[in-house]
Amino acid sequence: MEVTRRKFVTATAGLAGILAARVPPARGQQREISYLCWNNFAPASDKKLAEIGQRFTKDTGIKIKIDHIAAPQQPAKYASEVQVQAGHDLVEMRMHFPWLYEPQLIDVSDLVGELEKKYGKAISSAREAAYVHNAWRAVPQYHAQFVCCYREDLFKKAGLKVPDTWEDLYTVGKELKKMGNPVGIPISQNYDTLSTGYAILWSHGAMEIDKDGKTVRINSPQTATVVEWYKKMYRDCMEPEVLSWTDASNNESLQQGKAGWIHNPVSAYIVARDRKLVTADGINHHRTLAGPAGRHETDAPRSIGIWKFSKNVEPAKEWIRYLLGKKEVYDEYIMSGSAFNLPVYTNMQDHAVLKTDPKYVNLKNEGAQYHTYGWPAPPSDKVQLITNSFIMANMFAKAVTGTSTKEAVAWAEGEMKKVMVA
Amino acid sequence: MAIGTLPVPAVARPTWRTRMHEWLDREQNLGPLFITPALILILLLVAYPFCMALYFSLSNAFIGRPSHLIGIRNFVNLWQSDAFRQTFQNAFVFTGAAVAAKVVLGISLALLLNQQLWFKRLIRGAVLLPWVIPTALSTLGWWWMFNSLYSVVNWTLIALGIVDPPGPNWLGQKYYAMTAVVLVNIWRGLPFFAITILAGLVAIPKELYEAAQADGAGPWARFCYVTLPMLKGVLAIVILFSTIFTFSEFNIVYVLTHGGPINSTHLFATLSRQVGLESGRIGEGSAISLYLFPVLMFVVYAQLRYVRKQVN
Repeated sequence: MEVTRRKFVTATAGLAGILAARVPPARGQQREISYLCWNNFAPASDKKLAEIGQRFTKDTGIKIKIDHIAAPQQPAKYASEVQVQAGHDLVEMRMHFPWLYEPQLIDVSDLVGELEKKYGKAISSAREAAYVHNAWRAVPQYHAQFVCCYREDLFKKAGLKVPDTWEDLYTVGKELKKMGNPVGIPISQNYDTLSTGYAILWSHGAMEIDKDGKTVRINSPQTATVVEWYKKMYRDCMEPEVLSWTDASNNESLQQGKAGWIHNPVSAYIVARDRKLVTADGINHHRTLAGPAGRHETDAPRSIGIWKFSKNVEPAKEWIRYLLGKKEVYDEYIMSGSAFNLPVYTNMQDHAVLKTDPKYVNLKNEGAQYHTYGWPAPPSDKVQLITNSFIMANMFAKAVTGTSTKEAVAWAEGEMKKVMVA
Repeated sequence: MAIGTLPVPAVARPTWRTRMHEWLDREQNLGPLFITPALILILLLVAYPFCMALYFSLSNAFIGRPSHLIGIRNFVNLWQSDAFRQTFQNAFVFTGAAVAAKVVLGISLALLLNQQLWFKRLIRGAVLLPWVIPTALSTLGWWWMFNSLYSVVNWTLIALGIVDPPGPNWLGQKYYAMTAVVLVNIWRGLPFFAITILAGLVAIPKELYEAAQADGAGPWARFCYVTLPMLKGVLAIVILFSTIFTFSEFNIVYVLTHGGPINSTHLFATLSRQVGLESGRIGEGSAISLYLFPVLMFVVYAQLRYVRKQVN
């Protein structure tokens, strides 16, 4: 192409103007955002998310790039984005990630306010996870609740009563083990161990850290009762394999016809049903069990945060408004997760997704006593470290493998105190 | 006759190309020029991250928050953690057992590969496979083999009548779990030992064996007095590298046991990830990963000094 003097002068003057004003020309101003989320255990919802993303681009003119990574990779990826102050605009945050990244996330209270006005207040676990120091640091999106998944066919065959308390579980668990279908509660360094462990701990009135967020309260008669319960469950109702389990192991054990009872989100059933496993028809769910201090449930709430370093805050907010603020889009997204991803706003708790399969009927009663890990202590870096160091899981593991209850609890107390003091 | 001045022939001015050639011909210019790209890469990819890690380890850095230097407090505080003390012990047990086994098995395998074998090239290539396959992928295979629900290892042991059902709880009992991670590390690292030692074996002059044989030395004596002394240099380097790699192992433990049961298989790298990335305490995490740096530096120095002595 021939460059004339006139063309040269026009081009350089234009470039100088752009550089001086620091504003790109309108033609180059197509807005684009990027969104990083995990590989959902309900893969259909990831496909739906991509589909909604395309529609969003069509409707708003904002391009969206959605990336997925495996859940265990999330902390490393987020840490690197924060360190270099570059990366995605929006990030999906599991549990109390918003507390961990608080200074790096913009205040999205305006968005949550809009959603709460429309759908009612966010449920307690969502609030505990994302409402940090009087501001919403992420927008509650959905949650996967822990319920009791059991082989209803085996229970009926053996004439076993569906348990209502953790003590009832011990009674039926002994029979299940004799039948070759033991109870499957992991006692290893994974998150399912914590999700079940906390539910049992709280329902017996025990806790790790007090609600002041400072005082270690693990060494209590209530904790000793829980540890004793774990010991007898391990001895009479379970098999030693639970000491080596990953987050997927209890699901697999139920799906493959071994375990008779597990504590898990409905993903165990969804996978069995979708893969047409022979156990699928026999699996059903019932409500999380109660203890002397009532019924408490753990949960895995997820929310969407916007990094402060993002240069596209407004388009990013538009995406959240599109995905969660439009009732029909939010419903469509929830429906695609087949009851694994459940809505986190009060007025949506009796959602249509719970009517899509008779096996979800019992999930409707779930949700009254949700808490995130570490409750009643507010999430903090120290509580996070106690959780992620699996001190509670190791306390149970020590106790069931020969350490006395007193020693195991004292060990856990010592470890937790070291974290709090450091 | 008038005497005129003789015309001076004009000297051609050297072109930039000639000047560049001359400049490059000088060793003091060419040497640094060749080294510069590698130096820049090392500075960017090794020195910078190392300095950052060092800075973090001396600070109270927490992801995304302002931090300040706290001296060696992280290193001191770590000793109070049961998990860290356990990790410290694990690292030495894991590295000691794995490197010792790799030395013995590596020499044996190299001696075997040095024999006249059918399909020698194919076998030598196949031996390298564990080293070539991505560790995370091959360890997943091992995880499946040790998995309590599907363990083919247990199935085989039970079928052969070696153990009673249900067989060992490979990943759930601390001694078995450590055995499992050491086994996989040996499987993975053996090719490196075998092939490097094989290269050393091939380089030993045949005359030495012939002379030893003529003096009446049997196979064991030839191995002890010819092979081993001639392999000392290669072995020192291989052990040095393997010790460093094994101390900093991550993938195998992360995939197989995640550091459990009860922290009994945690190594510095896995604990560092748990504390630094999953819990956000980058300062403490960096201190864990750098804890053995002075020890490893000393090992490197001592071994390289030994090798240099051998060469001289």
